Amino acid sequence: MQRVRMWTSIMFMGLGVSLVLADGGYGTNKAMASGAEGRQKSSIVTQLYQNECASCHMAYQPEFLPKRSWRKIMKGLENHFGADATMDPKDQATLSKYLQENASDAKRTSHAATKLTRSIPKHSVLMRITEIPKFKREHREIPKRLIKQEKVRLLSNCVACHQRAEKGLYGERDIFIPNYGRWED
Amino acid sequence: MKYSALYLLVGMTLVSAGGNMDAYMSTLEKEARLADPGFNGFEYSRGEKIYFSKHRGKRGKIVSCSSCHTENLSASGKHLFTGKVIKPLSPFANPQRFSKVKKVKKWLRRNFKDVYKREGTAQEKGDVLTFMMRRK
Ligand code: HEC
Ligand code: HEC
Ligand code: HEC
Repeated sequence: MQRVRMWTSIMFMGLGVSLVLADGGYGTNKAMASGAEGRQKSSIVTQLYQNECASCHMAYQPEFLPKRSWRKIMKGLENHFGADATMDPKDQATLSKYLQENASDAKRTSHAATKLTRSIPKHSVLMRITEIPKFKREHREIPKRLIKQEKVRLLSNCVACHQRAEKGLYGERDIFIPNYGRWED
Repeated sequence: MKYSALYLLVGMTLVSAGGNMDAYMSTLEKEARLADPGFNGFEYSRGEKIYFSKHRGKRGKIVSCSSCHTENLSASGKHLFTGKVIKPLSPFANPQRFSKVKKVKKWLRRNFKDVYKREGTAQEKGDVLTFMMRRK
């Protein structure tokens, strides 16, 4: 009896260790950073979003585009801006649902997102956040050379300038442009 | 007693995590032998060539595996088309590498297409994995 109990607990311990090892580690930090409460509710889906949609670029917040945009993006993953972003069909269904439920026109969104998405014309189906009219206006004054530089390359590389973009923070305090510094206007 | 059981377990789990990848490697080996009866095992040096040689890739640019993963596999790389930082590919610098077969398969499929505009053969995959898993 004593023996059986010992082996059972060892097995559970082993399972725990294996789970830790099996996790690729992607997004784990973020899940932890968002605290215990966020972790419980959304960790499985956001972890999946991290794994599938944050390996080539950061995980863009769903609230930066409307439902119709996400629908179109999720239908074209074979040729996603020239990249292959295909995934397991079940995972794709889960993420499509997640994006629909958190899109700019699905719920109340943050100040930063609302500021941009308000300007999206009603019938256009934008594929990019960087094509939103207000996004373009907000970023118009940044000199080309600061965007083209090695450390930034593209405006879609939000984290290169918005240091806490992955947490959804886009305020001026968190802007630091490489080889330029803080942005004050 | 308790501790030795724990060590035993950690050990077993480590073996089984690697075991997954071992199973994948032997599948690749069987496929390679089927395709070429003269196949004589995977080779680090062939894998090194696959990793470093440059080709006109899917997007018309000259690329190699090192375009995104850098020439030093223990250093952080950078995605050629998005600028995102990519964690080191070498398992010596990043122990999470090559621990999930599903992930490895997915990226080999995508990345061979990015560079070679086609999927890799079993032998090519085995060779380049042999190189990547051993290179520091
Ligand atoms: C294999 C790499 C890869 C994966 C995986 C990937 N993307 Fe992308 N994504 C890209 C590339 C390349 C671009 C274009 C970058 C550029 O030119 O600005 C891009 C651009 C985007 C943009 C537009 C950014 C802008 O300019 O505003 C969105 C939105 C986007 N991706 C969402 C997703 C979602 C959602 C997923 C997961 C379903 C995903 N991506 C997975 C490679 C990838
Ligand atoms: C080259 C650096 C750079 C990149 C890359 C960049 N931004 Fe910005 N962003 C700025 C600067 C600078 C401002 C402030 C503009 C101003 O106030 O004049 C800004 C402003 C903003 C604002 C308005 C903030 C506010 O509340 O006033 C939002 C939202 C925003 N950016 C989102 C994004 C997103 C999303 C991305 C990626 C798709 C991105 N930015 C990429 C530099 C950048
Ligand atoms: C266009 C950029 C790009 C190129 C070129 C590229 N890779 Fe990748 N590779 C990635 C990205 C992005 C990931 C996933 C992000 C991550 O795991 O950090 C990745 C992941 C991988 C992985 C997964 C490793 C693991 O277990 O985590 C392997 C294996 C791999 N690449 C091999 C290759 C090989 C071999 C080549 C050349 C044929 C190559 N890559 C070329 C961008 C690239």
